[in-house]
Amino acid sequence: MARKVSWERQQRTDARLLLSGLCLFLAIMLGFPTIANLWYSFSDVSFQDLTGSGFVGIENYVDALTNPNMWSALLFSLRFAVVATVLQVVFALVLVFVLHPLVQKRPWLIAPLMLPMMVSPALMGMMYRLILNEFIGPVPVYLDMLGIYVNFLGIENVYATLVGIEVLQWTPFAFLVLLTARQSILPEVEEAAVVDGATGTKLNFLVILPMLLPTLGIVTFIRFIDAFRVFDHIFVLTGGGPGNQTTSISIYIYKLFFKENELGEAIALSVILLLASLLLLQVGLRAVVRRTEP
Amino acid sequence: MIVERSTAVGRLIHAGRWILYILAAFALNVPILVTVLTSFKTTGQINTSPPVWIFEPTLENYREVLITGNTDFPHFIYNSIVIASGGTLLAMVLGFPAAYAIVRQGVGRKWLLPIIANVRALPLIIYTIPIYLMFQFAGLLDTRFGLILISALVNVPVVLVLFVGAIQELPEELDSAARIDGASTWRLLTDVVLPLSRPILFAVAILSFIASWNEFVFGLILTTKNAVPVTVGATFFVTSYGVKWGVTAAAMTLGIVPPLVLGLFAYPYIGRSMLGGAVKG
Repeated sequence: MARKVSWERQQRTDARLLLSGLCLFLAIMLGFPTIANLWYSFSDVSFQDLTGSGFVGIENYVDALTNPNMWSALLFSLRFAVVATVLQVVFALVLVFVLHPLVQKRPWLIAPLMLPMMVSPALMGMMYRLILNEFIGPVPVYLDMLGIYVNFLGIENVYATLVGIEVLQWTPFAFLVLLTARQSILPEVEEAAVVDGATGTKLNFLVILPMLLPTLGIVTFIRFIDAFRVFDHIFVLTGGGPGNQTTSISIYIYKLFFKENELGEAIALSVILLLASLLLLQVGLRAVVRRTEP
Repeated sequence: MIVERSTAVGRLIHAGRWILYILAAFALNVPILVTVLTSFKTTGQINTSPPVWIFEPTLENYREVLITGNTDFPHFIYNSIVIASGGTLLAMVLGFPAAYAIVRQGVGRKWLLPIIANVRALPLIIYTIPIYLMFQFAGLLDTRFGLILISALVNVPVVLVLFVGAIQELPEELDSAARIDGASTWRLLTDVVLPLSRPILFAVAILSFIASWNEFVFGLILTTKNAVPVTVGATFFVTSYGVKWGVTAAAMTLGIVPPLVLGLFAYPYIGRSMLGGAVKG
């Protein structure tokens, strides 16, 4: 008995040791920045004075929350994330329904569809800059030949273009995850449904779709948070402009910090965003987990 | 499927599936295709309208990017290789033992996994400012080591979730057998669990390398010259004087080929990891 106790104690010591590396790393790289964020958010900080010694109370928070540009950036990110996520998930579902029989027999067919998500979003943005270029980009050139003139990065189309790029790059992710779930549905289940008279569209919507719902929840959640924090391709394509038209919340914080030198405000906003995200994550994760638990 | 193909309608549906597949594969990959083609074109060929699709390829753009140009692109490639490999290695070295402790010894599951899941989901821009200030203080700005730390931080969530999933699937009897033979936890980890996890280690390494290679925000903010990764370095080709598209396309091609090639080996794990990780983690 005593031996068992000491063995268990040994186990626990070992476990702590095994976890220590990761915990130390997270404390330095995550814990420290979090504390620094909190500290700075209440102080009068600038590049000239990084100690953040002057306590200014909630001034930074007030500045952050009363800046109308912040609200428009937040709204942009939310709209961008909702629209892009819905489109990706819908396209991915259609692809799964239609292509499942093809890829079932020829798994290699999946590979070409996966390429976009391996590419850095920043470089993807630059590549779209090339193909949408009004002089040498094939897309405007061919459209022009059809008599259609579209300025993709012009003020009236830029939002749709940015959403479109996000959708084209990340639909493959949603497709892959949903396809994996689709393929894990046992053939017997499908056959039973077919025997009961469910075929084609009916089979897909009444039998398969409900079985994919938990995965659909996970995919929607992941794509939403990734789209909400969008930075790379927008930064490369428009830099947040024209004006502030395409400034996402991530780009907004970047600009506050590096362009406008508003350190305190940027940091206060970071803290607000951190708290808001954590709150939403708790709600979101709980919803997703509840759905996936049998 | 047999039912489907035996009728005329069935054949039509089958053809429809192929058409959608080809359309999707094309639409998704147009930018990559055009960029790679453009990188082999002369300026004259690039400016030809309508675009030429079949032409005599030139390596001039690559020569300029890699040898004669003044952007030091080879150095950026070197940086990306070092940063992505280093960050991947660090994330794995930290994540593997931790995953074992979480699965087999049940320590940290309650609090560590949620923290990690949040890291995966938070807008990383939140941390760029304090990390910038911290790095400035520690002299890590514009160093490869600094970006290795970042890349490990960004990758730890995926690495940990995949390892937790993988170790959960190993039979626990192996552990007890090794214990009875008197193996210490450390020996058990290196001699039993690690060799058995080789396929997943491989997949995790590839996925993590791709994610690090493609990272942009931190590279943009924390580097200026010495430690610039390719994703940021490629944007240097877009200047206020205009863009030399042939050279830029060559730089972009060099920046996307490593993750594309590696991705072809690892993509099946992405789907599985998402489901496995999310359901069990």
